[in-house]
Amino acid sequence: MQLGENISIAFLGLIDHKFRSFLTILGIIFGTASVIAMVAIGEGAKKQAIAKYQDLGVSNIIVRDKDLTDNELEEVRMKFSKGLSFADAKAIREILPGVISVAPQSEIKLDAKSGDRSSKSTVIGITPEILEVLNYTTEKGAFITTDQYDRQLKVAVLGATVARELFSYENPVGRSVKLGDQWFEVVGTMETKALFTETVGELASRDLNNDVYIPLSTFNKRIPKENQYASEINQLTVKLRNSDELIESAAVIRNIIDRHHFNNDDFSIIVPFELMKQEEKESRIYNFLLASIAAISLIVGGIGIMNIMLASILERTREIGIRRAIGGRKADILGQFLTEAVVLSISGGIIGVFLGVFLSVGITWITDIETSLTLYSIIIAFSFSVMVGITFGYLPAKRAANLKPIESIRHE
Amino acid sequence: MLIDIQNLKKDYLMGEFSVTALSEINLQINKNEFVAIMGPSGSGKSTLMNILGCLDTPTEGTYLFDNMDITQLDDDALSAIRNKHIGFIFQSFNLLPRMTALQNVELPLMYAGVEKDERLKMAKASLEKVGLGDRWRHKPSELSGGQRQRVAIARALVTKPGIILADEPTGALDSKSGIEIMEIFTQLYEEGHTVLIITHERDVAACANRILEIRDGMITNDTTNINTKIGELSLAN
Repeated sequence: MQLGENISIAFLGLIDHKFRSFLTILGIIFGTASVIAMVAIGEGAKKQAIAKYQDLGVSNIIVRDKDLTDNELEEVRMKFSKGLSFADAKAIREILPGVISVAPQSEIKLDAKSGDRSSKSTVIGITPEILEVLNYTTEKGAFITTDQYDRQLKVAVLGATVARELFSYENPVGRSVKLGDQWFEVVGTMETKALFTETVGELASRDLNNDVYIPLSTFNKRIPKENQYASEINQLTVKLRNSDELIESAAVIRNIIDRHHFNNDDFSIIVPFELMKQEEKESRIYNFLLASIAAISLIVGGIGIMNIMLASILERTREIGIRRAIGGRKADILGQFLTEAVVLSISGGIIGVFLGVFLSVGITWITDIETSLTLYSIIIAFSFSVMVGITFGYLPAKRAANLKPIESIRHE
Repeated sequence: MLIDIQNLKKDYLMGEFSVTALSEINLQINKNEFVAIMGPSGSGKSTLMNILGCLDTPTEGTYLFDNMDITQLDDDALSAIRNKHIGFIFQSFNLLPRMTALQNVELPLMYAGVEKDERLKMAKASLEKVGLGDRWRHKPSELSGGQRQRVAIARALVTKPGIILADEPTGALDSKSGIEIMEIFTQLYEEGHTVLIITHERDVAACANRILEIRDGMITNDTTNINTKIGELSLAN
């Protein structure tokens, strides 16, 4: 008997028992849908995690002052280390091959004020090189220029949250803000950035939207140091031409600064790209785990198919006997029931894919959880559901095919 | 010779005991015979029919069907013989309840691998032959007992089998329908078919031109019946 005939027989049989067929595939539907939704949640989390590192620059190496206690700080100063300095930046620029730019920065937590409003912010002193290492774009106005830096002007660019807290929806450009006890003119505001809520290496978690950027020259001249031992600068961001040599370059940088700091362990080196790769690896495991849990529900769905098929074969023993008597071979009976199982699981798989897509979109819509639908998850979920149908349909179908014709035809 | 059975024996295993259902069966049936097998229940007549119909295999002895040795064939080959050479008719009709009359008649052709168009033509012709040309759309539950049995006959005939095997074909019918069914068998015999009926009713057996009596698993009587007159059929009344 041809496959087409088998499929149409299977369809007729299933349509005859609409409700039962629906109940049978319910497990497959939910199994498929949950695999897709779970993977979408995992992929969404991964995407968010990666965006965070992209904000730090994937071909950058970050050198930071270590967070030391006053006592420790005093100790390293006694051992001749001056902490991070412009001299370190210069040395890296001169010694390390493949450097595009080195951007020093200093930072301090200060309240930004305008009129009676105030916003807790991190004031960051930057050099114009920052634009070469990071992708900083302003929403309104312009970023700090080389001219403003050279002239040590009191100009500031506000992070999105600071701008909103101080000026609501008015345009802050041209207005004044007070940082600590100094007045600055706002020349621009930043676009909203991805939240940076987890600690990355030595980088304490912070909301980048709370940053206020001012020229580092102005910072060093106008903003008082936290204490007498504070370093000249807090951070160096090194951008390399080529991200293949990040590890080697990081080692070179460590050597250079070790020498400058007389082997004092007062700085740390962060390679965002490496951290990103590590995170990707972790999230792969996490995604696999999520998908496996969902896949278990698919297997349970398969057991449901097997259950109902065994019951249905008992009920249709006589039909099987009749088919055998008029010339149906074992293979025909096996084919008929296997086709039924496959038709069931494919229908369940298709409905499940739609439900899964609907769920993923719905989750993002209703909650804030970011989901990301991927073609591979849909293909895997669908083919797995079909595989489950064939696997769990085989045993009942085999049993049906092996029924003895004379016994089954007399079955009541 | 269509059927040639030599020294056939059939044992059943019932738990630890072996029960002999048939023994020392020797039987030859030619083409275009109308044979009735008679016997009380438990005599082994159903077992004989199952073996004749290739639904069961003998324990000992040989069975040649159209010169093919049935005892040497595997399950697939037996299925093919049932499909092409044997037309079954049962007491309880054994139609598939969810299919229409036409679909039921089509089914053996489907297993024979006949194309859809050809199948429909043959199935319709077969239904017309038993007088149900206008009922092909009906499901078994929408037909009377006699009509259902006629659908079953149409299904048995559709593959143009070498032999028609009917197991108590009138057993579940009223006498009027029973007579109609026996008339169809007589007509088929007159057209050249080979028909074998199993019955425990003497009146039904009287329609055949040869009557075999079976008792305790053995053929006890084999007579030729010259006065095959269906008009005298009284059946249950």
